Amino acid sequence: MTRTSIDLLQGTLDLIVLKALSWKPMHGFGLARWIQLTTDSVLQVEEGSLYPALYRMENRGWIKASWALTENGRRAKYYKLTATGRRQLVLETQSWDQLTGAIGKIMSTQSEPA
Amino acid sequence: MRTNDDDLIPAWRRYLRLTRPNPAGDVDDELAFHIQSTVDELVAQGMSRDAARAAAQKKFGDVERISATLYNLSQQRERTMNRQELRETLKQDVVFGLRQLRKSPVFTLVAIVTLALGIGANSAIFSVVYSVLLHPLPYANGDRILTLSERIGVTQGYNAVTLGNFDTWRKEARSFDALGAEWGTGPRTLTGVGDPTPIYTMQRTSGFWKAEFIPPVLGRYFAESDEQLNAPHVVVLSTALWKNRFNGDPAIVGKTITLNSAPWTVIGIAPPDYIVFPPAEMIWIPLVLPPDRWNDHGDHELNVAGLVKAGVTPEQALRELTMIDTRLAKEYPNKGFDGTVLGQSPAEQLIGNQRRNLYTLLGAVALVLLIACGNVANLLLARGTVRRPEIAIRGALGASRRRIVGQLLIESLLLGIGGGILGLAVAAAGVKFLVRSPAGIPRLQDTTLNAPVLLFTLGLSIACALVFGLWPALRASRLDLQQTLRDGGRESAASVRDRARGALVVSELCLAQLLLVGAGLMIRSMLVVLSVPPGFATKNILMMNVQLPSARYANPAVREAAFTRIRESVAAVPGVRSAGFASMAPIHSRQFNCGAFREGSNGHDEGNWNANVRTADPGYFDVMGIPLLRGRAFTSADNAGSANVAIINRSLAVKLYGNADPIGRRVANCIGGSPEQPVWREIVGVVGDIHANGLSNDTPNEVYTPTPQFSQSQLTLVVRSNINAPSLLPSIRRAVAAIDPLLPLARVMTMEEAIGRSLALPRFNMWLLTLLGATGLILAVVGIYGVISYFVTQRTRELGVRMALGASTASVRWMIVRQGLVLGMLGVGLGSAVSYGTTRLMQNQVFGVTAHDPLTFVLVAAILVATAVAASYLPARRATRIDPLEALRG
Repeated sequence: MTRTSIDLLQGTLDLIVLKALSWKPMHGFGLARWIQLTTDSVLQVEEGSLYPALYRMENRGWIKASWALTENGRRAKYYKLTATGRRQLVLETQSWDQLTGAIGKIMSTQSEPA
Repeated sequence: MRTNDDDLIPAWRRYLRLTRPNPAGDVDDELAFHIQSTVDELVAQGMSRDAARAAAQKKFGDVERISATLYNLSQQRERTMNRQELRETLKQDVVFGLRQLRKSPVFTLVAIVTLALGIGANSAIFSVVYSVLLHPLPYANGDRILTLSERIGVTQGYNAVTLGNFDTWRKEARSFDALGAEWGTGPRTLTGVGDPTPIYTMQRTSGFWKAEFIPPVLGRYFAESDEQLNAPHVVVLSTALWKNRFNGDPAIVGKTITLNSAPWTVIGIAPPDYIVFPPAEMIWIPLVLPPDRWNDHGDHELNVAGLVKAGVTPEQALRELTMIDTRLAKEYPNKGFDGTVLGQSPAEQLIGNQRRNLYTLLGAVALVLLIACGNVANLLLARGTVRRPEIAIRGALGASRRRIVGQLLIESLLLGIGGGILGLAVAAAGVKFLVRSPAGIPRLQDTTLNAPVLLFTLGLSIACALVFGLWPALRASRLDLQQTLRDGGRESAASVRDRARGALVVSELCLAQLLLVGAGLMIRSMLVVLSVPPGFATKNILMMNVQLPSARYANPAVREAAFTRIRESVAAVPGVRSAGFASMAPIHSRQFNCGAFREGSNGHDEGNWNANVRTADPGYFDVMGIPLLRGRAFTSADNAGSANVAIINRSLAVKLYGNADPIGRRVANCIGGSPEQPVWREIVGVVGDIHANGLSNDTPNEVYTPTPQFSQSQLTLVVRSNINAPSLLPSIRRAVAAIDPLLPLARVMTMEEAIGRSLALPRFNMWLLTLLGATGLILAVVGIYGVISYFVTQRTRELGVRMALGASTASVRWMIVRQGLVLGMLGVGLGSAVSYGTTRLMQNQVFGVTAHDPLTFVLVAAILVATAVAASYLPARRATRIDPLEALRG
């Protein structure tokens, strides 16, 4: 198995989960697969991180869990974004953009530090 | 924003969840699904099922650890949700409760006002109890202070400490950090700031300040150097005096003020906490005495306080003093102490006799509150009946009994808190009234609605809500759903409920009876006291203290001449019938007494009777209307140079001489002599007995001596007028000023005022108990009325049938009134039994009647039964106006 090639920054996993759930409700396994597929396997989320993150987000009221049947007729716990979660996604997206913008500027700079 | 599905579901539906959420199961299921899905995926990629399972497990890692983490997280969530749910439920119950209460404004108003009366009265009395009894005295080291007195004999009570014994204690006792003494002395006249004013004065030793220490506002208290015979005159002012007379001058310390025409240097300002009784304007001067006075082991004068050394127990300290005092009692026998020393905490000494009195009042208001709670419980029972359909429907929709009881209790709490808030207004008014009472209760003037009182009120409101709310709530929630719904909400268990409500009313009547008996006993005592013939005139008598400053009136002859001129000047005022002087007037001021004995007795155990000591001038008996039974009154010939004479009262004459004629025999007392060196006085007259020590006290023995034969600088002027006495005061003042314009007149009051003041405390108690009794009675009557009205409403149909079948109006009315009568009799019977057992506690507060006074018991019982009947007559009359047709159709 290939290890996650990038260590996820603190809070980044939350952003990814919020983004994923903004499309449609998903269960934990589905989320893990979606992240893997979308990032062409660059990011692989460990279950030991994913589930606690989901539970914490649920405690904060960002997402909400309910049991439903999958296409295969299995009972699975689906997570969906709440209104609070949607607001959180907007906020986190903004700060992510700022962070990546700032890092981008640093990486592309030509001047050496004074 | 609330878009969560669950938030849209009505709260009650949450209770329909058949099973509680199962966090552990959820976690396991979720992880199992994840692993299963991974296995499926791997199998689809061609792996064997077993290999796929192993791979999935391995990829997942430590399932145990992860599921433990998840379980913890979901537990957290569950707890938060429960808390939120509880808050939400509470909020909904409060909103729902408020809506219910608003829907029936009359019920709400009656309940809240009833509770406000009960709670308010309790808060007011409690605030007095707190201020007087519970609030600690503000002394530093308060727990180490003992106030000390000497036992006279095993059965004879306690005396103030003698000068000599106190001096011996302070020289010999090792258990105290400080031992101090004080006594009240005549007022000093303050001149130089406004009108000459007599200022209440205490003399204190430096040790007293050290024992009962509160830091001074300014300056310092006395030091031992201030107690030397020729030390410069120093004075400590009370804060009130300093603020009122000297505008709170911050530089007062070191300044000189004029007291009795002599200069005194202010050395300090004492904080207001030292004032436990008005007047707040007072001064303290050092207790300085010539050395021979400190050897007097027979003069019981001093209030003594000691600060017990840290590490020494009060018992050890008292044992040491008792040892010293026992030795002194052997050295100086028959001096009014037997060697045992009593030590009390300052609070105990100050308010010991107020305690029972105040706790009686607190008990009485508690009864009023119980009656009020009974009434509200009754209202709630009735309301529970009206609300049966509503409650049944909620039950049918799945609300648990706990939930319904909770909801009903929340409503009760709302009522209780409403009653508490309105009660605070009642309490504020009550405190205003109580503080103004002239009853002379220490620290009463400090009573306020402070934090402890507010807490008490809150606690009381909640406790009340539980008391009156719990039972009706339990009853209302315990109903047969099917039966109620089938009845269409009509009453089906009337008789059971009637019994419950009847029991409540009977209890209320029982409590009201107890209250009224208490009030009745106080009223009877007061009537007895007021009907006591005092033995002296009470109408148109004016009394005032006249003090001749010793600096200008040092010579007894000069003093007597001045008193005579003042008497003549006042007697000449138009409207004044006669005027006279005595050392003190009956009831007007505290009486002074000591042993009187006849010639021929040994002066101690045999023929020695405690008797009031009084000097009087020739006019005194006539002014006071005290009848001369034998011999003669004093004349102007009885002066300092003539033979010593005395007049005694009838009681003393009988005690000393039996039926023999006392005229011409000789007696002696503490005036000018002692049992060892008696100064004999020839009895020239016998006068009638008087209630000099207060109308509720027995007539004391009296020995009168002529004023010139025991000259004092302060005498009490008594004036009898032909017209309303107070209106003469300005002319009397002018008449006194004509003799000496600088003489202050103190304690100016009519005899009626003096008697009024002496009875202020029992009267205060009587009015309060009467007020509480009346409140209790009114509440109980409202309760009976409610129950009987309810009874009538419930039986409308039955009554209609009876009347349709020809029952007479009278018989129907009787049937209803009988209900009230039965309740009344039961309540009164129970109440009489309870009162009989309880009023014993009041025995020392009643006068002239026993605590089981039959008249009071019978009268109160009659009043209660009569009001019970009257309260049921109104609904009975209404019942007979029922139109039978209407009733049957209804």
